[in-house]
Amino acid sequence: MHVVYPAVVAALLFSVGVYGVLARRNTILVLMSVELMLNAVNLNLVAFDVWLRDVLHSGQVLTLFVIVIAAAEVGIGLAIVLAVFRTRKAIELDRLRELGEP
Amino acid sequence: MLLVALLALPLLGALALLVPGPLGAVAVRFGLVVSGVVLAVAVAVAAVFDYSDAGTMQGTVDLAWIPWLGVRFHLGVDGISLPLVVLTALLTLLCLVYLAGHRPPRARELVFALLVLELGMIGTFLSLDLLLFFVFFEVVLIPMYFVIAVWGGEGRRRAAYKFILYTLLGSAVLLVGLLYVWAQTGTLDMVRLAAEHPMSRTAQILAFTAIGLGLAVKTPMWPLHTWLPDAHTEAPTVGSVLLAGVLLKMGTYGFARVAIPILPEGAAAVAPWLGALAVVGIVYGALACLAQRDLKRLIAYSSVGHMGFVLLGFATLTPVGINAALFGNVAHGLITGLLFFLVGALKERHGTSDLDRLGSGLLGRLPYVGSLLTFACVASLGLPGLAGFWGEMLALQGAYEPAAGLPRGLFLTFMVIGGLGAVLTAAYFLVMLSRLTHGPWGGPGPAIHDATRVELTAWVPLVVLILVFGLWPSALLGLTTPAVHALLGVP
Amino acid sequence: MIASLVVVLPFAGAVLGLLLPRHPHGRSPADNLAANKRAAWFGVVPTALSTALVGWLAWENTPSTSVLTKIDTGGIAITVGLEVAELSVLTAMLVGVVALAVQVYSVGYMRGESRYPSFSAFISLFTSAMLLVVFAADLLVLYVGWEIMGLCSYLLVGHWWEERANSRAAIKAFLVTRLGDVGFLFGIFVLGFAAGSFRIADIMAADIPEPTLVLATLLLLAGVAGKSAQVPLHTWLPDAMAGPTPISALIHAATMVAAGIFVVARLYVLFPQPTLDVLGVAAAIGMLGAALAAFAQNDLKRVLAYSTISQLAYMAAALAGGARDAAVFHLVTHGAFKALLFLCAGAVIHHVGSNLLGHMGGLRRSMPVTFTTMTIGYAALIGLPPASGFFSKDAILYGLERSSSPIQLVLYGSALLTVGVTGAYATRAWLMTFFGTGKIQALPEPAPGTAHVFDGREAPLSMLWPMGVLAVPALLLGFTDAGEFHLAPAVTALAVALLGAAFVYVIWRGAPERDPARLLGPFRDPCEQAFYVDRLYAAVFVRPVLALARGVVRTDDDVVDGAVRATGRATVGLSGLTRHLQNGNAQLYVTGVLAGVLLIAVGAVVLG
Repeated sequence: MHVVYPAVVAALLFSVGVYGVLARRNTILVLMSVELMLNAVNLNLVAFDVWLRDVLHSGQVLTLFVIVIAAAEVGIGLAIVLAVFRTRKAIELDRLRELGEP
Repeated sequence: MLLVALLALPLLGALALLVPGPLGAVAVRFGLVVSGVVLAVAVAVAAVFDYSDAGTMQGTVDLAWIPWLGVRFHLGVDGISLPLVVLTALLTLLCLVYLAGHRPPRARELVFALLVLELGMIGTFLSLDLLLFFVFFEVVLIPMYFVIAVWGGEGRRRAAYKFILYTLLGSAVLLVGLLYVWAQTGTLDMVRLAAEHPMSRTAQILAFTAIGLGLAVKTPMWPLHTWLPDAHTEAPTVGSVLLAGVLLKMGTYGFARVAIPILPEGAAAVAPWLGALAVVGIVYGALACLAQRDLKRLIAYSSVGHMGFVLLGFATLTPVGINAALFGNVAHGLITGLLFFLVGALKERHGTSDLDRLGSGLLGRLPYVGSLLTFACVASLGLPGLAGFWGEMLALQGAYEPAAGLPRGLFLTFMVIGGLGAVLTAAYFLVMLSRLTHGPWGGPGPAIHDATRVELTAWVPLVVLILVFGLWPSALLGLTTPAVHALLGVP
Repeated sequence: MIASLVVVLPFAGAVLGLLLPRHPHGRSPADNLAANKRAAWFGVVPTALSTALVGWLAWENTPSTSVLTKIDTGGIAITVGLEVAELSVLTAMLVGVVALAVQVYSVGYMRGESRYPSFSAFISLFTSAMLLVVFAADLLVLYVGWEIMGLCSYLLVGHWWEERANSRAAIKAFLVTRLGDVGFLFGIFVLGFAAGSFRIADIMAADIPEPTLVLATLLLLAGVAGKSAQVPLHTWLPDAMAGPTPISALIHAATMVAAGIFVVARLYVLFPQPTLDVLGVAAAIGMLGAALAAFAQNDLKRVLAYSTISQLAYMAAALAGGARDAAVFHLVTHGAFKALLFLCAGAVIHHVGSNLLGHMGGLRRSMPVTFTTMTIGYAALIGLPPASGFFSKDAILYGLERSSSPIQLVLYGSALLTVGVTGAYATRAWLMTFFGTGKIQALPEPAPGTAHVFDGREAPLSMLWPMGVLAVPALLLGFTDAGEFHLAPAVTALAVALLGAAFVYVIWRGAPERDPARLLGPFRDPCEQAFYVDRLYAAVFVRPVLALARGVVRTDDDVVDGAVRATGRATVGLSGLTRHLQNGNAQLYVTGVLAGVLLIAVGAVVLG
């Protein structure tokens, strides 16, 4: 398989993720979009690892790292979302503006 | 090794205070012990100092610090820095003695700040590496910021912000200048730079302007002085004493140690400007004092005037002038330190330092404080026989015949203006004394107590030193003269 | 060595007198008395020893120089040393005797005063400083003593500081003299750098070009005019009479104000003719103006103060006319008789409880001793034989008569006129104090500037003794130099003086109740105000400086610090433009980041 197919798929996935991060108001959906972006990167890493025939398979190793970190990130992220929802009764991103300049 | 001990002791003392535990309850006493030991070490340094060879660096320590940058941990002491080191150790001890009688709030933190301050001040006077000098120069700012911002008066926040922002700005310019010297020469070793001064004339002028500006903020030179009155007015007594007594000296010390010996041609080119700003500072400070209503502000402005004399001494680039500047430095540290102690005592008793609200007849109400205040003012206005005189007189003498290559007529004008400034200095001190210490006082009352034993313990050493240096100026001049000759390259 | 002991002894007395009398602490009246007693010992004994040593020096009569140490300042070294010469021993003798008399006199004058210890200590410090000036072998050492004298004058004039007027007078005395002293210091620089040394002997031996000398001596004259209260820096002296009378006798009549004359006499060979002419003009104006002002004063001490200015101008005129020895002679006799006059005036004021001539009168019966001594003093002041002033004035007039100075006529004429006016004002003061009817009213409490209320008795013995002792030299000192006596000028002067005195006597005789100063008619007010010089200075110097000071404070706040604050505000304002971007919407921030990344990427592709 030519490397261009996974690369295009990854780019599409990443773009969907970016769109989600920038445009969605729901915090959980934004977190999911972040996951999409991470997975797009993972796909790229694996694809190029195979294409370049890396002896050390550093692409695949890195992918494992990313998956672990993503898991931790989602855990913390969801915990924050939960805490915010408990205190504010809202998870819409554009309503959480306490840190903005008045 | 003694020099390392001078730095290590306050550092270890400060670190010990960080450890949570019973030390906090006796913080002031602990600080007294530490600074007492530091003073003892400083006196030991002075005792083993070879006075016949005061012009060369002694007791040097030279270790690699950041080898890949060529920054070295290089310490040393000569006739210029020795008096300042002892002065710093003494004033810190006296400040802690003063605190011992006052039970300050948050004593542990205050003593911690003072010890770190001491570390920075002594380090500045000892370091012989440009970057090390700068590091110590900066170390001083943070504790002083906290001393003003935490233990200060009403408007302490504003004053502290102004202090730190203004002096940091100055430091940034200073750093640029130092790095420029480094870029031009590839070395940070002050001794080597002073012996060789390998830079071209244009580069020297550029570097001197940058370094001079940075130091002038700290000194402070007119018109970069406005942080000083605010900082002094709001700072607690010990803060004011150390600020006026030592911190201002770091700026002028920088001129004597860094700017003039390393960049002699730059100094010669900028000297007329430096002299002009210095005499403007003298007259301006005196006039500002004449119409001042707040005692602490008045003394702060008087510092601007006195530092003007010190800068004028430097600007002449003659041995006499630089001797004058170094003498004036130490004398100002002693006298203004004493003045701030006394004004702090007044403020503590009356809750204000406003001249109108302090009332009159202080000599009747508080005879000891009043007499000491009179003494300190008289010393500060430059009466012969007291320490303040020699610095002023020699600075004027230097201006009478400045170094070859400087415009003589201009410096003669400076001398005349400086002389008139001395008269104005006498005028505002006497007017202040007249308003405060003279006048009706309505007989003895039960209201307030005169100087306490602890306060007198803190003040008397200063009085004695002012008298000693005034009556026997050779005690200091004998130390600085060889160093100044070495510094100017005069045999 | 002896000379240094002479200087150090009173200094040690001052230090001990300041530190010790109050131990153990106590401020009750009994403690005060004990402290005063101790302080009196500290004051009198060192001065007496010092005077005795000066006497020994005078008897030995060998010029000597002792150098204690050299102060290396990096430039011209300062020689700390003392030089004993005939002129210095003579002046030191005067200082010692008057200081001793005043110390003893103060014991009685300041009895029970709680601040007597510091008072006597400052007198000791002053004595030490004056002796340092007299013996100094180096100009900068001389300057040290010179300034310390000024400080003592300040402290002692302001001794009764509860009164605002005294405090103001003290400031004025210090500042006016200090203004002159700056010139003096610069003069020292000019001389020192021209000669390459600050030692007086070296400077006198050096070959200094005339223009430099003129400049240097003119600068020195500024200091001399300040200290010796010569025109135009004379205004502080009359005000300084606010101090206690013993101080007026010691500092503002006999010694400190004579220091200026002393310095000119000491450095006389350095003074070229142009400088002497300037000095002569100032002296000619000063002696006559001050004498006229003395005639119109209502305050006994101010009469004597203006008289001092006038007499010092006499000495200055003698110096200007080339009669140095006559000037020194008059310096010594004047020191003796003017100190005597002040001490007597102190006794009178002590007795009456007021300084004003209008409150006195008819005192010759109740104060016989004071009457006698003061009459001797006035006789010397007027120049009546055989009092000392007769001889010294004669010497000065003789010198002026034969002077080769280009302004000889002015000097001589002014001196002769002044002799007449002196006779007049002295007679007026004498008559109004001791003759006529008594007008003393008992005051409920001491008036400001006086220590005691009227008690109807002659002064205590400790005050009478010094007066008696000083009366001897005031009367007889003239005969030490009688060999130089010249008949013609003496007769002229005596005639002029008697004319002035007789004129006043006739006027007074007509109406003993009224002040003979009415003789001046419309000139009385200008004379009493000393020709409005004070007001002129206040308008020309004091007020502009104060206005300038207020302007500086405003400028400092508005412009210099204003610029600093404006920098801060400008920074905050600029950041205000960008801070609105931080609206709290995290997605906006991420969009910004993305845009930035895109921009960089595109830039890298296009430019790379």
